[in-house]
Amino acid sequence: MFKSVKEVINYREMIKMMVHRDLRGRYKASVLGFAWTFVNPFLQLLVYTLVFSVILRSNIEKYYIFLFVALIPWLGMSGSVISSSTCIIHQPALITKIYFPRRVLPLAAVTTNIINMLLCMIVVLIVCFFGIGLEFRYLWYLIPAVLVEYILALGIGLIVSGLTVYVRDLEHIISIFVMLWQFMTPIMYPVDMIPERFRTVFMLNPMAPVVSTFRDILYYRRAPELSTMMSALVMGVVFLLVGWTLFGKLEKRFAEEL
Amino acid sequence: MSETVISVKNVKKCFRVYLDKSTMLKDKILFWKRNRYENRMVLDGISFDIKKGESIGLIGRNGCGKSTTLKLLTRIMYPDSGTVSVKGRVSALIELGAGFHPDMSGRENIYINASIFGLSKKEIDKRISQIIQFSELEQYIDNPVRTYSSGMYMRLAFSVAINVDADVLFVDEILAVGDLAFQKKCYDKLKEIKDRGTTIVIVSHSLDMIEKLCDRTIWIKDGKIESSGLPKDVHSLYLHYLGQEKNENIRYI
Repeated sequence: MFKSVKEVINYREMIKMMVHRDLRGRYKASVLGFAWTFVNPFLQLLVYTLVFSVILRSNIEKYYIFLFVALIPWLGMSGSVISSSTCIIHQPALITKIYFPRRVLPLAAVTTNIINMLLCMIVVLIVCFFGIGLEFRYLWYLIPAVLVEYILALGIGLIVSGLTVYVRDLEHIISIFVMLWQFMTPIMYPVDMIPERFRTVFMLNPMAPVVSTFRDILYYRRAPELSTMMSALVMGVVFLLVGWTLFGKLEKRFAEEL
Repeated sequence: MSETVISVKNVKKCFRVYLDKSTMLKDKILFWKRNRYENRMVLDGISFDIKKGESIGLIGRNGCGKSTTLKLLTRIMYPDSGTVSVKGRVSALIELGAGFHPDMSGRENIYINASIFGLSKKEIDKRISQIIQFSELEQYIDNPVRTYSSGMYMRLAFSVAINVDADVLFVDEILAVGDLAFQKKCYDKLKEIKDRGTTIVIVSHSLDMIEKLCDRTIWIKDGKIESSGLPKDVHSLYLHYLGQEKNENIRYI
């Protein structure tokens, strides 16, 4: 395990270049270019706000901010999972012809999405500042919150990217699963709407505490509960350890399966 | 000169040849019988050692296991049994231009491609002018790679791979890059790398090239080492064997 970690660190330049390539290359041929990074979440925000504050009226104050502060962290996670599910199978030329630590690919896919999320976070902060104001005392909590989400995304990304090579259907199953997951996470609704007796099970979804933390800091403007953050961290670390080891087993036959 | 850098011990490798392969979940459950496969032995107990600074040619007929050997050496694949160990930084002239992004400039792509070989930013900065110079693409280096001709594309990729300064270099039948002048340049560069003390393993059908570049030839036949020794000697055995096969084929016709 230490050996594989060290090797990935030696290849950090490759991770950097892959992220750079994805961020710069993705929208290069499109008219709006890099602006798509912001347009996409903005349009989603518009759709959900329309549905939940005009049609299905929920009596939440400043609903668009309530939603926005949770939607952006969620999109960071869902984007990470979806792009890691294809990051190996879409690069057969690299996998079958060149050696490099395979973990670089999911790591780069997840990092790209988290960086995208951070860029959108700037917009979130601006919107919050003008919408409801910011509680600067608690803003530093955002750093551990992002880190916890990054760890969790890496773990899930490693698992998903490796398994998809062997079961190609996962690519499609995952997009459905991510939709279900989104509804199981308190993004469009507050946690209190979940009946008390299901609350424990509900919080076993690792994204539930993550999203709640972001919402505590930015929407409720209070310090997030330490126990919530800890449970998210523990689940994240477990996913990362399982993902890292499982990937090590799966990668041996990548070149033959592709 | 006497340190062993590559050591291959009794390596076996089977490929699963699926009779009717499907990776779809539906098929895996419904037609599980179709997932039967037969094991095809590609390498059947190969052992050899290569010392530092040696250059080796691997020869053999199509499908004999040469390229599989090379893939095991580069750790793209792993053996079923036996061990493979390679010491030092490895570069491979196997697939050129992997990871190129067509919309990005030649210069940016050099950085991407070199990072895949495990170079740090500093190391690439140090080599960049040398790489550009070798590729002879100075005028076009800041244009997007999609505007390159296929020859220019290969030249750029080759220049990156050959300037990695590896301790061990693997070459798989790719010296047919660019025009004759560039081929000559590649050949000279290989020679220079060899003289610098880099260990080289070449897979090729060009016995000529192996004879000029290599100290030793390993002939693989049906997953086993048939013969190994001075290129001259092994090649004459190999040519003799090819001649015999040809005669047999003619007799069948």
